[in-house]
Amino acid sequence: MTFKAVKSRFSLILAFIMTAGIISGCSSTSTEGDSLTVYSGQHEEFMEPLFEAFTAETGIKLDVRYGDSAALAAQILEEGENSPADVFLSQDAGSLGAVGAAGLIRELSADLLNRVPSIYQSVTKDWVGITGRARVFAYAPDRVASLPTSIDDLVTKTWNGRVGIAPTNGSFQAFVSAMIQERGAAATEIWLQGIKNNNPKIYEKNSQIVEAVDAGQIDLGLVNHYYVWEVSEELGRDINAKIGFFQPGDMGNLINVSGGSILKQSKKESLANQLLAYLLSDEVQKSYVTDTHEYSLVFADLKPADLPALSEIKAPAIDLSTLAGLKATQELLVKVGLI
Amino acid sequence: MSESAPASNSRQVPIALSIGALFSLSFIAIPLIYLIRRALESDGRSISILVWRPKTLEVLITTLSLTAVVVVLATVIGVAMAWSLHSVKIPLPNLFRALVILPIAIPSYVFTFSWISVFPQISGFWAAVFILVLSTTPYVLLAALAGLRRVDWSQYEVAQTLGLNNWESFLRVTWPQIRNSVAAGALLVALYVLSDFGAVALLGVDTFTRAISNLYRGSFDRSTAAVLALILVIISAIIISLETRLRTKTKLQRTSARIIRLPNLISKTRTKLISILLLVIYLATGLVFPLALLFYRFFANAVQVDYSELFSASISTIFASALGALIALALALPLGLLVMQGSWLARVADKGVLIVHALPGIVMGLALVSFGSEISWLYQSVGLLAFSYALLYTAKSVGSVRTSLARVPQNLIDISATLGQTKMQTLRRVVFPLAAPGVLSGSLLVFLSAMKELPATLMLRPTGFETLATEMWRYTSISRFSEAAPYALFLVLIAAIPTFLINRPDKGESEEGDMR
Repeated sequence: MTFKAVKSRFSLILAFIMTAGIISGCSSTSTEGDSLTVYSGQHEEFMEPLFEAFTAETGIKLDVRYGDSAALAAQILEEGENSPADVFLSQDAGSLGAVGAAGLIRELSADLLNRVPSIYQSVTKDWVGITGRARVFAYAPDRVASLPTSIDDLVTKTWNGRVGIAPTNGSFQAFVSAMIQERGAAATEIWLQGIKNNNPKIYEKNSQIVEAVDAGQIDLGLVNHYYVWEVSEELGRDINAKIGFFQPGDMGNLINVSGGSILKQSKKESLANQLLAYLLSDEVQKSYVTDTHEYSLVFADLKPADLPALSEIKAPAIDLSTLAGLKATQELLVKVGLI
Repeated sequence: MSESAPASNSRQVPIALSIGALFSLSFIAIPLIYLIRRALESDGRSISILVWRPKTLEVLITTLSLTAVVVVLATVIGVAMAWSLHSVKIPLPNLFRALVILPIAIPSYVFTFSWISVFPQISGFWAAVFILVLSTTPYVLLAALAGLRRVDWSQYEVAQTLGLNNWESFLRVTWPQIRNSVAAGALLVALYVLSDFGAVALLGVDTFTRAISNLYRGSFDRSTAAVLALILVIISAIIISLETRLRTKTKLQRTSARIIRLPNLISKTRTKLISILLLVIYLATGLVFPLALLFYRFFANAVQVDYSELFSASISTIFASALGALIALALALPLGLLVMQGSWLARVADKGVLIVHALPGIVMGLALVSFGSEISWLYQSVGLLAFSYALLYTAKSVGSVRTSLARVPQNLIDISATLGQTKMQTLRRVVFPLAAPGVLSGSLLVFLSAMKELPATLMLRPTGFETLATEMWRYTSISRFSEAAPYALFLVLIAAIPTFLINRPDKGESEEGDMR
């Protein structure tokens, strides 16, 4: 290759970069009128239609940055007071709690907080739950004759080598934190050790567990309830995995929430308020149940198809705001050797 | 310095270059300073619990053995394939040469997902070895090819007439001459393994990078995560110095840029078959299989493709990655020129670039968030995003820049000086033209790596700026692989274009620089 060739190719590349820059520059959003910057750990696929409807209704433009909830929380922690975000929406209570513990989000108005029962919001009133996700077990109906009634059944010999868990996943860790809160660290360690001794299969994500149940690698796995739909929708067919609940009141039936908060440094509190109020409105709460198969926190009796209603599950009463970053949880999981 | 500066003055380091190198050095320092600052925030007690727990030793052993096994396998396979491409008469050599580089463009999480969705039982150490060898072999292969191109085949033939067989001649004549290039490629493999998250996370292998991410995710504990990241920095520093030690100090003596005798291509049927088989197996597992699987998922559950989104994500990807490659080049050029002149400053910066390369994307992302959010006009701009790519991947171009420059014969520079050319003129008219092809291929590697980067991209992109990698993440994070397929496909297609350009068939022996 001669230098001339390289040079002409180089200028070609440069020209291309500049054109690309101009094109992508043009498509960037202008910030006229009212606008809000939203950091959303809730998925684009589900949120985009809601956000568009919100903008159409209120005229408030939204600049949404999607990401993994925990990574967005870490980002907000790094940005501190310089954060461009006005609203932080998270998939789980833990990420909201971490940002709250750093004092970066503000107390919400009573109007917002009163929409949902107080167990689904922060005790310091700086975040509010939006939807509920139930911890359940996914199982293969043809291979599981009698369903477990309690999380404690899973440490018995019957389940040796048949169970899948995702111990590095936030949803599993939130469950362990809840167990520590309810039963204490010593009892939780015994349960974790029991699970460990039962040779569970370890996965990174909930969806992998559901796929593994469907594929016959495991008979039962601990997941959030909506993953069974998610996997079935992806594969475009019915899958050999069903949702099961432990008996009402059992530790295994934890309800975790997705939620929203307003950043302390935001100068647009009233606009941000409008957005959270919209997400908690009757109409949107109903659409969550039908579209994303999540639980509404406003209507305790609405239920995703074929599932018991939130009011029937009788989840253990856990302080969700303390599920964030429990060092004890990580330490226990490390000690037992599950992560 | 007067215009007719004699050649002996070329040891004096131009001040502009030193300033350039200082800039590069201070940029590289950003993530390291960030880590030290965060690490110092944690209390000593929790650090010592973290560092001295048995699990840390376990993670250390896993990380080191994974790195070692992948490096050895990738080196053997990479060198074997390079040798096949260089000295065996195989059909469609240029097509093969371009295709074997393309696995670099496939993100490791996509790679891993495609395999575990067909063979869900694979997990653990050896599965990670398999996946990582597939995705890193091209680095060794490129380095070995570049090395082989500089080997004068007449020596090889002398060895044969002295009664050595092919294998012995390779070991005693060819290998010593390509060893340094191969070691440089192997180093890139090692640093890749250290920083990889996608494969080890999905396959459940506890390396430092996974442990660091788990800390951020599980407990939002930035200071202990920083401590682990600093341990990772130390490990990479040790590996880097190992490679430096392995490198022999032989200098190739040549009088012009192109005097090499090319090999007479081996056309023995058995050798040909084995070579072709090796290349085909590699391409089948490393390129065709993951793409075929994505296609399959795409067609099994066909969804409407949003072409305007696909198009704008492609443009954004190309723009940000190419800008990143340009910045990387701007950082690497002064370093390369200075290392050539033996400047200690450049040597330090040179190693720093490599250390930063081994950092997990999430660490680089957070470091630049912490640094960038102070400067509101810069924060979440394409410029800062491209800058993060440059910091993460300059290591991939700095080597090729350096070796390409080193290959410019000193006597040509001297002649240019005696003909009354200034230093700048000599650089422009003699040095750059000869070094250009190698420099370009180094920039290509930066470009290919930047295209698939995810964790730093999610944090640093302008809000609403979607790249192919973020679009893929958008779907894969809710397990919709069928919808991610078109984006993955475009990633590979876009990667293919510059790769083919650099391997233009009509250019015959296109000179690729090695990577360091």
